[in-house]
Amino acid sequence: MKTFHLPDLGEGLTEAEIVEWHVQVGDTVTTDQPLVAMETAKAVVDVPAPWSGRISALHGKPGDIIPTHAPLVDFEGPGGEQPSPTTTTHPTAKAVSAPPREDQGSVVGHMPAAESVVAEQAIIRKRPAEKRTVKALPKVRRRARELGIDLRRVAASGRHGETTLADLEAHPAGTPTAAPRAPSANRASQTETLRGTRRIMAQTMSLARDQVAATTLFDDADLEAWQGRQDITVRVIRALAKACTAQPALNAWFNGETLEHTLHGHLDLGLAVDTPDGLIVPVLRDIGRAAPGEIRQELERVKKKTQARALEPGEMTHPTFTLSNFGMIAGRYATPVIVPPMVAILGVGRLCHDVVAVMGGIATHRRLPLSLTFDHRCVTGGDACRFLRTLIDDLAEPS
Amino acid sequence: MAKVTLVEAVNLALARALADDPRVVLLGEDIGVNGGVFRATVGLQERFGPNRVLDTPLAESMIAGLAIGMAAMGMRPVAEIQFSGFIYPTIDQMINHAGRLRTRTRGRLSVPMVLRAPSGAGIHAPEHHSESNESLFAHMPGIRVVMPSSPTRAYGLLLAAIQDPDPVVFFEPTRLYRLNKQEVEDDGQPLPLDTCFVLREGHDLTFVSWGAMLHETLEAARLLAETEQVSAEVIDLGTLSPIDYETILESVGRTGRLVIVHEAPRTAGLGAEIAAEVAERALYELEAPIVRVTGYDVVTPFFKLEHDFMPSVDRIRRAAHQVLEP
Repeated sequence: MKTFHLPDLGEGLTEAEIVEWHVQVGDTVTTDQPLVAMETAKAVVDVPAPWSGRISALHGKPGDIIPTHAPLVDFEGPGGEQPSPTTTTHPTAKAVSAPPREDQGSVVGHMPAAESVVAEQAIIRKRPAEKRTVKALPKVRRRARELGIDLRRVAASGRHGETTLADLEAHPAGTPTAAPRAPSANRASQTETLRGTRRIMAQTMSLARDQVAATTLFDDADLEAWQGRQDITVRVIRALAKACTAQPALNAWFNGETLEHTLHGHLDLGLAVDTPDGLIVPVLRDIGRAAPGEIRQELERVKKKTQARALEPGEMTHPTFTLSNFGMIAGRYATPVIVPPMVAILGVGRLCHDVVAVMGGIATHRRLPLSLTFDHRCVTGGDACRFLRTLIDDLAEPS
Repeated sequence: MAKVTLVEAVNLALARALADDPRVVLLGEDIGVNGGVFRATVGLQERFGPNRVLDTPLAESMIAGLAIGMAAMGMRPVAEIQFSGFIYPTIDQMINHAGRLRTRTRGRLSVPMVLRAPSGAGIHAPEHHSESNESLFAHMPGIRVVMPSSPTRAYGLLLAAIQDPDPVVFFEPTRLYRLNKQEVEDDGQPLPLDTCFVLREGHDLTFVSWGAMLHETLEAARLLAETEQVSAEVIDLGTLSPIDYETILESVGRTGRLVIVHEAPRTAGLGAEIAAEVAERALYELEAPIVRVTGYDVVTPFFKLEHDFMPSVDRIRRAAHQVLEP
């Protein structure tokens, strides 16, 4: 059995009323033969047979309302004639057994409909744009791909921080540039005039280079004999005080014009402190006479004031000797620069565990690298070596 | 919550607005007795009476003009244009009056009206029932243009449009009217205008679309994720004028790749506007040229060729490949 459903009668109407049947059950009809007169909102139309065949049932009687796509006429099954080729693709024949649809309105056309329920999450998103790491035109990106260059490694010179074709050409393929890609860091060189402490440093160091006959001695203090925990800086200051007493020629000032060498009876120790603003040298007054506990206290006070940039001018003037404890960052030996009128400076490097030759074999000892620069205009090599000897010996003491 | 289609959500929002605000009136062709050709206003005249739900003569310019006059005098008219191709007679009224009465009267009069109109092809309708003419209205100063892509947004954005103090052209994608359902709470809560909705988050490329085309765009994004491990972000424009560029630029800033999908013809379509703005503001962020997937510059063809006219899932996927491998 084949069922012919009421087609959309062409006006987008959803239903039609049977006015009169032109055929009865048992009739044999041919394609396009009128089957029934149906009344729509607009007109009465004859509905033609979609194919030839023998009618087995009529759905409805005159006066009945038939929804579009509902069964209208049953034809006898496979025993009957085959549908004519022109009607095999009749659109209405596809609507087989679809239940009468809900009212879809009076629209010419086919409104797709489904019962499926869509779950979705719609986000209203307001967040600041994070820019991509590399700014470049698509043209530049394509060229970079062709050249096999990673754009992140190319210095950008564009006005908006973008990498240009010229930048690509200037970039040796496959050779990474040193600096990681950061637009501002890779701009053209920038010049700034030194100010504040950095300006003073530049002037002082030039003066030192021009005036001082700097010579540097290197050695290590062996700390193997230390007992318990020792405060390295305090021990170094104590040793310095001893050395200054033993060799006062280094705890002194020198005037290159008058050739006056002034030896000091007290140790006013300048402490080189590294700050973001530059090198600052606060002075520990008469530290040679202080007890170890007092030295530590004084160190803390001065460091705090330095970091807070709260030192008074008087706390930074006229040291008699300078200590530069650079080893806490890195570096073993250095050639520290003397700031006139002082005549010596001690650099303390990074504490190391060294393999050392000892009587009968080798051992590892903790050692403190020392670099002593002295002004050879007024200090002899012998003075300096004896100064360093005294220093090392005192540092080597167990406590 | 009720599971409703997009056209039912429109009906719910209209009923809610009529119930909550006595200034709201509906007017249009066949919207009362007939319930609207798409059934958007079904049952509303029975419920609120013929003074609130008015059947008008077949004269769109008059419908728009009537709504403008009502709005200027303090009412909140919601006019329906029966089919998308019937909207053109309203353009004179919309440009010359709706969009500029506030300016012309130095703020003394405003036009809080909504012009509802069906939009788009894909339902085998005649060609002048299948128009996508949103860019005509987006080009007019003083008029908001809104197009929902789901029942939830149809409900919330239509309420927002009705409450907005200025004229809104509200396009309803007919292909989505009954395509599927969503749970919509009839709570009278509007959704914000002038914002995009991110329907799918991703990091490889950004799709921007609106209206019915989001159906294909979301499907393309799903296939890209499942078969190619491509993570595509899908942004529903929501309000077509003014456009929320903040959301688009933020997304493109991350993905570096933009595909715009719309059903309207390509030339001077809204996609061109978005592409131009993104190019001006984010060209250096782009990994690839912006690609548009659009309808062709032809009258919507009859339904045998309609399928070829509509941007397909396949075309959208090819556009994605284009921006991924420029």
